[in-house]
Amino acid sequence: MSADTLLARWTKPAKRRVMSDSLALALPLIVAAAAVGWRLSGIVAAVVVVMVGVAIALLFARHRAARHDQRWLVRALDASRADMEDSADLLFADTSTLGPLERLQQARLADRIDSDSPHSLRPDWSRHLILTLWIAGLIATGLVIVWPRPGHGPPTLAPSREALPATPGIPRLVAQNVRIIPPAYTGLPSRDSASLDARAPVGSRIEWTLRFDPQASVPAIQPVGGARLVLRRDGANWIASRLLDASFLYRVDPASGRGPTPPLHRIDAIADSPPQVKALSPTASLTMVTQSQRSWSPTFAATDDYGVAATARLRITLAIGEGENVTFSEREIAIAGSGPARDRRFSPRLDFAALGFGAGGDMVVQLIVRDTRQPMPQEVRGPSLILRWPSPKQPESGGLQGMVNTVLPAYFRSQRQIIIDAETLIKQKRRLATDRYLSRSASIGGDQQILRGRYSQFLGGEEEGAPEAPTSDGEQHSDDDGHDQGGAPRQSAPGFGAPEDVLADFGHPHDDSPASSLDPETRAILKKAVDEMWQSELQLKQGHPDLALPFAYRALRFIKEVQQATRIFLSRVGPELPPIDASRRMTGKREGLASRVLAIAPVEGRDGPAAAAWRALGDGPGAIRGAIALDALERWARGQAAHLPDPLALSGAIDAVRRDPACVACRARLRALLWTAMARPPAHLARRRPADSSGARYLGAVGGGTQ
Amino acid sequence: MTAAWITAGLLGAAVLLASVRLILWHRTAVTPSPRRLIALLLLQPVCAVLLFLTLFPPAVTTGGSTLRIATKGTPRLAVAAGPVIQLPEAPDISAGELVPDLATALRRHPGTNEIVVLGDGLTPRDMEAAKSVAVRFDPPPLRVGISQVAPPAIVAPGSSFSVGGQLSALPRATVELLDPAGQVTDSVQPDADGRFTLTGTARAAGAVLFSLRVRDGHRTVEQASMPVLVADSPAPRLLIVSAAPNAEIKYLRRWASDAGFAVTTQMSAGGGIALGDAPIVIDAATLRRFDVAIIDDRSWAARRAVVMGAVRDGLGMILRASGPIDAATRGQWRTLGFGLAGKDGVAPLALPKPPSPALARTRQGIGNDDAPADIALPDETLPEISRLGLTPDGGDAVPLLRDAGGTTLAAWRAVGMGRVALFIGIDSYALTLTGNRTLYGDWWSAMLATVARPALGINLITTSGWVGERMVLCGLPAAAQVERPDGRMANLLPVNGCGAFWPDKAGWHLLRKSGDNPPTPFYVQPADALPVMRAARDRDAMLMLRPPTPGDRTATLRNAPGSSWPFALGWLLVSALMWWLERARIGRTIAPQSAK
Repeated sequence: MSADTLLARWTKPAKRRVMSDSLALALPLIVAAAAVGWRLSGIVAAVVVVMVGVAIALLFARHRAARHDQRWLVRALDASRADMEDSADLLFADTSTLGPLERLQQARLADRIDSDSPHSLRPDWSRHLILTLWIAGLIATGLVIVWPRPGHGPPTLAPSREALPATPGIPRLVAQNVRIIPPAYTGLPSRDSASLDARAPVGSRIEWTLRFDPQASVPAIQPVGGARLVLRRDGANWIASRLLDASFLYRVDPASGRGPTPPLHRIDAIADSPPQVKALSPTASLTMVTQSQRSWSPTFAATDDYGVAATARLRITLAIGEGENVTFSEREIAIAGSGPARDRRFSPRLDFAALGFGAGGDMVVQLIVRDTRQPMPQEVRGPSLILRWPSPKQPESGGLQGMVNTVLPAYFRSQRQIIIDAETLIKQKRRLATDRYLSRSASIGGDQQILRGRYSQFLGGEEEGAPEAPTSDGEQHSDDDGHDQGGAPRQSAPGFGAPEDVLADFGHPHDDSPASSLDPETRAILKKAVDEMWQSELQLKQGHPDLALPFAYRALRFIKEVQQATRIFLSRVGPELPPIDASRRMTGKREGLASRVLAIAPVEGRDGPAAAAWRALGDGPGAIRGAIALDALERWARGQAAHLPDPLALSGAIDAVRRDPACVACRARLRALLWTAMARPPAHLARRRPADSSGARYLGAVGGGTQ
Repeated sequence: MTAAWITAGLLGAAVLLASVRLILWHRTAVTPSPRRLIALLLLQPVCAVLLFLTLFPPAVTTGGSTLRIATKGTPRLAVAAGPVIQLPEAPDISAGELVPDLATALRRHPGTNEIVVLGDGLTPRDMEAAKSVAVRFDPPPLRVGISQVAPPAIVAPGSSFSVGGQLSALPRATVELLDPAGQVTDSVQPDADGRFTLTGTARAAGAVLFSLRVRDGHRTVEQASMPVLVADSPAPRLLIVSAAPNAEIKYLRRWASDAGFAVTTQMSAGGGIALGDAPIVIDAATLRRFDVAIIDDRSWAARRAVVMGAVRDGLGMILRASGPIDAATRGQWRTLGFGLAGKDGVAPLALPKPPSPALARTRQGIGNDDAPADIALPDETLPEISRLGLTPDGGDAVPLLRDAGGTTLAAWRAVGMGRVALFIGIDSYALTLTGNRTLYGDWWSAMLATVARPALGINLITTSGWVGERMVLCGLPAAAQVERPDGRMANLLPVNGCGAFWPDKAGWHLLRKSGDNPPTPFYVQPADALPVMRAARDRDAMLMLRPPTPGDRTATLRNAPGSSWPFALGWLLVSALMWWLERARIGRTIAPQSAK
């Protein structure tokens, strides 16, 4: 058996025992600490405490076990085993370094060592300490678990502070407790308030526990302007409860009106505020798509006083298309938030391809969150964020003061095409057969005719009329013969002029043609261009493109001129009014015109009961030092509750003054509250005082006057 | 013939009689001694002169003395420099003579012609006594606090008012005006001299206490009550005349009607057609029925003579420009006394920055069902309002309104018994449409209040009084009473129309005079309120006392009467010598023998 094996075999039981002993010592401490952690901050804290405690305990146990090494074994063997003859260290010595005598002894020891079990060397359990720690730990754990938490169990009553004089035989409030149990969704613990004034979330249950001396018979809680709340007897105490839906003032009435009037107390309802949504990124509401962007991840933060629902909806509006041809599509997707309930983050990833978002479109997203309020959650829409994918050919039209309107369409360019075709034909004349040459010339002439027809349309279609006979002289066609309706039937141009265009066929439009939007000069130039086209067409159809070219060029020049002239500028109508023509004043008919009385009804602006009470409470003119009639004021305050900054405080102050009219502090407080409850009337005038006799004499001497 | 001359004559006669008696006595003597007779005759007038001087001691020619007076705040070390006289306010420096007031000190120390005042200075009680002597006073620097504050005069309900004041030795303080509910209604930083102006708004009529709070960082340095008396005056009868119907008239009429004025509107629509209220003839008799008239330039030009006649008799008039004015109107307005400076045409008007929403809400109070409170809260954007390029500066006119750029918007001047104001704003109604109706009301009520015909009403005493300090109330008839805040009455005994009153309680007091007049309120500050302002007032009064001049010493010497004791002693000695000369036996030894 080697020395290492021997060492391991003989120390192992001791090490195990020490480990077990350490863990047995640590366990009650860990349990107690975990109980404290659970009690203070919940199950998570308990788990953390257990894990940390176990880790520390293991470290401690290992540290203790590590002390049981070879040196300990040698000493333990020497101390406990007489047969080791105080030379147990020879067991672990290197044989090669030993002398013959030592070797002999080593061999003897090796034989003897197994005469006893290694378990005999185990240290004993630390029984007393374990017992003490377990008892202490269990007691501590039990205490922590059953220690009464505020808001649970029977309440502890606090002595009353109403300070009412004791009247024999009339019950008086001596102790009280107000328990506030907030609604479960708030996650707030219930708590006890020693004072009868409290603030609690809306929806909380308020439980009063009151004690009277001498014992009351029919005590009640009397809210101001509300129904009595009858107290229920529970042993020596009286209890009542009520659901808090709005702030209210109340007084504890121990003896149903007998005895002095107790002071008012106030329960304030803290309204659940709606969640707040903020866009964290992007911070600007309009973002542009960057190059090679394929998705978008806006980030929102939603905060609430009690908690934001874990899922929210994202409304995505897509606007796709340009100009007037924009289609909208709207959809809502559910997204899950991350982070704590009171401050959640929502960061959806919006894939362009999946949504069908492309160039020239806008994507508008809006986060809709809810809080956890019961029974009806509050819903809030966050800010809209716009992602814009700019169109590649978006016109920059901003900043124009007027509208540029191109009246003539773009097909004006084809006159140049006719010239090009004609010049090509002339170049190819030698290579072409004559009939082919003629037919091609005629077809160009046909194009010229169509073009002429289109321009004629701008002139009221009147040029469209009769194509004159080739023999007729084109120069004879003048502006004056425009009403020539007769002649040959009109040729229908392929692709131009609809068969159902009845007006064009049978009517005689003068004003509805596009040309009516042209000014006379443009119209004249256009007429010249059409005349040239007539000539060009004539020559082309006769097979003389070379003769047609000068007319075609002239027509092109005129058309260019028209194009220059037909950019129409429509200026906005400014605030410049035409000058008034004074000579026309008072020259119209004036029957039925007479002087009139314009009635006016001033708004009612008199001081209300608030001002009267305010004056009475002061110490200046109009002050009343005794009791003041406050009924009118109270009625007024109830009617104006919607406009008052704090109607409950005003009711309380009125009540305080009514109870004790001589209380200077109460009167001052009511007066201050009334100041905030008054409106500022329209400014009156502080008239100056008349001058005395010498002043009047002076003014009279300086400036005259008949008085 | 004074007592001294009579006494001198009597003494001279007595000396003559005594001399005659001596000579007769000498004649009849048995052994006359001429030397003794001569000595007695010479001693008689000496004795008479000494007696005269005992009764009328001559003026002391050695000069007057200087008293050192210890007042409040005298340092203890002042005793080391010489004897002091302690007034009741002085700290207990356990050395020096205690006197109840300065007059007593001067009486006890006749011949005092100069006092050296140590400490903060004399109180109003001692000012009268201090006027008889030269005062040497080195004023200590004022402590930190409010050194001067001017509460507003009577404020009309609903109007805004200004509180001006000055701080001493506080460069970076903030001054706040708190309303009676303790809310901040205005907050300013004083200028380099410590001066500040705060704005507050009044509500219903009554006596009210605002508070002035001085803060240095977060520390409250001083807080003082600011009494404001809100009192209504008789509603003015207002005439609005316009040469054409327009928005400005519409909103003026609405504002004035809502404010409770008796408004008569006359708008000409041309061709003899009038709109507004029932037509009236504008002449001297009708104008006498009105207190104030708002007239535009064209209407005024048409009725100049009759309107100005009514103004001279007491009517108030606000002249309003309906647009750019022509040269003729300009000349007429200059003739009225308004120096029209600047360019022709129309210029933009610089509106003040609206107060923060919180302040505006505090000033406005609550709303009601018809007019919610928000209606008077200013919009974000300021309306575009124009004014004439010509400003009514210069001339005899007093500026009345200024815009945020400092341009005079309105000015007034007295014409006879009445007043005329010129307003150069053109379309002020835009203020009411943008939530600035407060500013609109402030402008027009300031103008109307300045020029409107005077009316009788409640008066107010604005001088500050303090508890425990004598107040002088003037303008009193034979019997007057003061009603204290707790209702107790105090009778005043007026002398020459003024009576003294010692307030013992802070708060609003009412001075009730005989007759049916409404009582005159005044406010008394607590004794410890505004200490720096009190100190500053006393210091200013001290500095107005007569300081010592080089000619003082000789001028005051003659008046001091000398002591009569040495002369009385001399007279006694001389009289004793005379008695001895008459009765002594020395040199007359023979005589008794011969008598035997």
